[in-house]
Amino acid sequence: MTLPIPGYTLFNTPRHRHRIMLILVLSLVTIGANLFGMIAGITLVLSHLLYFPIILASYWYPRRGLLFAFVITSIYALLVVLFAPAEPLLNIITLSRLAILVLVGGIVALLARNLAQSEQQLHDIIDFLPDATFAIDREGKIIAWNRAVEEMTGRMKGEMLGQGNFEYALAFYGERRPMLVGLIVGGEEIPEKKYPAIRRESEKLVSELFLPQFYGGRGAHLRFSATALVDTRGNVTGAIESIRDITDQVMTATALENTSNRLNTLSGILRHDLSRKLAVLYGHLRLGVMKFNDPDVITFIVGIKESANGIMRQIETSREYRDIGATPPAWVPVQEAFGAAVGRIDIGRVVFHAWTERLEVFSDPHLPTVFYHILHNSFKAETGATKIIATYHIRPEGCAIIIEDNGTGIPEMQKAALFIQREDSYGRGLFLAHEIISITGMTIRETGIYGKGARFEIIIPSEGYRVEGMGK
Amino acid sequence: MTAVITDPFDPAPRIVPVLHNVPACELAVVKELTVSEFSLAATVWKDYHETNGDPAQDRIFGVFLDGVLVSLARCRRHGGGLEVDGIWTLPSHRGHRFSSMAVGALVEACHYDDLYMYAVSHLTGFYVRFGFIPIPEKDLPATIRERYTWAAGNLEGAEVQPMVRKAGIGTIFLPS
Repeated sequence: MTLPIPGYTLFNTPRHRHRIMLILVLSLVTIGANLFGMIAGITLVLSHLLYFPIILASYWYPRRGLLFAFVITSIYALLVVLFAPAEPLLNIITLSRLAILVLVGGIVALLARNLAQSEQQLHDIIDFLPDATFAIDREGKIIAWNRAVEEMTGRMKGEMLGQGNFEYALAFYGERRPMLVGLIVGGEEIPEKKYPAIRRESEKLVSELFLPQFYGGRGAHLRFSATALVDTRGNVTGAIESIRDITDQVMTATALENTSNRLNTLSGILRHDLSRKLAVLYGHLRLGVMKFNDPDVITFIVGIKESANGIMRQIETSREYRDIGATPPAWVPVQEAFGAAVGRIDIGRVVFHAWTERLEVFSDPHLPTVFYHILHNSFKAETGATKIIATYHIRPEGCAIIIEDNGTGIPEMQKAALFIQREDSYGRGLFLAHEIISITGMTIRETGIYGKGARFEIIIPSEGYRVEGMGK
Repeated sequence: MTAVITDPFDPAPRIVPVLHNVPACELAVVKELTVSEFSLAATVWKDYHETNGDPAQDRIFGVFLDGVLVSLARCRRHGGGLEVDGIWTLPSHRGHRFSSMAVGALVEACHYDDLYMYAVSHLTGFYVRFGFIPIPEKDLPATIRERYTWAAGNLEGAEVQPMVRKAGIGTIFLPS
């Protein structure tokens, strides 16, 4: 057991005590060696040994490095005066050597001070990060523990730094276990069955958990994300983990989901009832066609049937609207999406070409619905279109999927209202299309010329598209 | 007699009857090649300067007849612009407008960019139908001009004519 020395706080820390002892021992050994050399007539080689204590002292204690170098060189100078043979050349060499020793001490101290400042800045950045953050080294010892994690866990930085044996997990789980950083440093494969809550996002490991014992038993939803710390050669030297309290978001999302479920149930009931009523209406219309021969009455019945078809489409649109955003976005092959959209439309004699074979976009899986609602308008007989072409154009801001026809086009005054919710059926499908693509940051606009044809451009951000084999 | 038709929207080839009085071009299907189909293009181009497609910079449009690739057109992205070349039909399948189908598909797909080409001199009339116009060689982007550096400006001797189809010139609704 070592007794503390009052007034010498530096010396009372084990790490510093070891360093200071090493410097003192090295100093005594090297000075002793030099003294022995001078007595034995060796005056040139042994003085280089003095670099060791000077460099170590200046590196570990930059503020005192220059002073220490000066003290060592002074002792050496004294030994030379007392024990070395008095020769003019030796005096000159000794003086220059003394200057170099002091200079080396000063330079190392300066570099070490800059390095320490840089490290301090990094620590400050971690310390003031808004998210609770800690880091461990390769041995699993805590090397950073910021203020936010202090507030979250109630465990102070002073007591955590340097601790190993999964001490960090005690603060979160109340038991010692490898958290994400532990798994990274351990270099283990992460089997999905063992850790179902963990997923990989690029270079990060991410998991979201509810910890019931947190905040005095109130519980908290926490999002953990961790990544490896690597050196210049790519070796893992540790790992850093951030923890965010997402309890508010989870509660809001749950409330929204509940509300959405209720609305979906209600709209489902309404759709079901409307469909049944429509089935009855279609039955009456079929009977009416069989029962009456009068052309005026038949025309009247056809008109009613077209209106019923419109209601049926509205029901379908309502069903699609319920589903959008429910499935996570994914990479969707655009050509297949066009194929699925055209498969739902009676295209008649209109020629349709899609030149999007190798294009994929990151989109809500309902992309075919988007194309359906755009194409549905172009395929209508009243537009007069005989040909529709879909292609894509790579631009500096991303990629545009362009769908154009040679029909009458859309009057300028109607364009602004195309993608907003309206009462008539024409705009509602396009509103739905707009809603679907906006989920992944895409936009849509109509850029055709009235009288020459309609042209819809879906703009995909740069990160949201790729072309097979093109490296993009 | 039947034929296998590859439809861009139908990955599974369809078996359709071949009628003797139907023109071959009406039974053919034109589509953009996927990366895995680039090797088919290389086979067709074997007699066309042994050309090869590069998925990183090319879009290739091909005409399939009975499931067999018979005609090609390529659009290559250079640093300075897009070049149309590799327009080639198997000698055994010429005279059925297959090249028109391939070039028409390329123009429909790529017409939002300026399209440059070195046309074989006696075929300039063919390309004019798709909106290409003859231009002096100096109007070609430098990266495309490099291909005919060996001609040292004597393009008449090389029997080629530089042409361009400007983006946004209007009609893209070519006869199908």
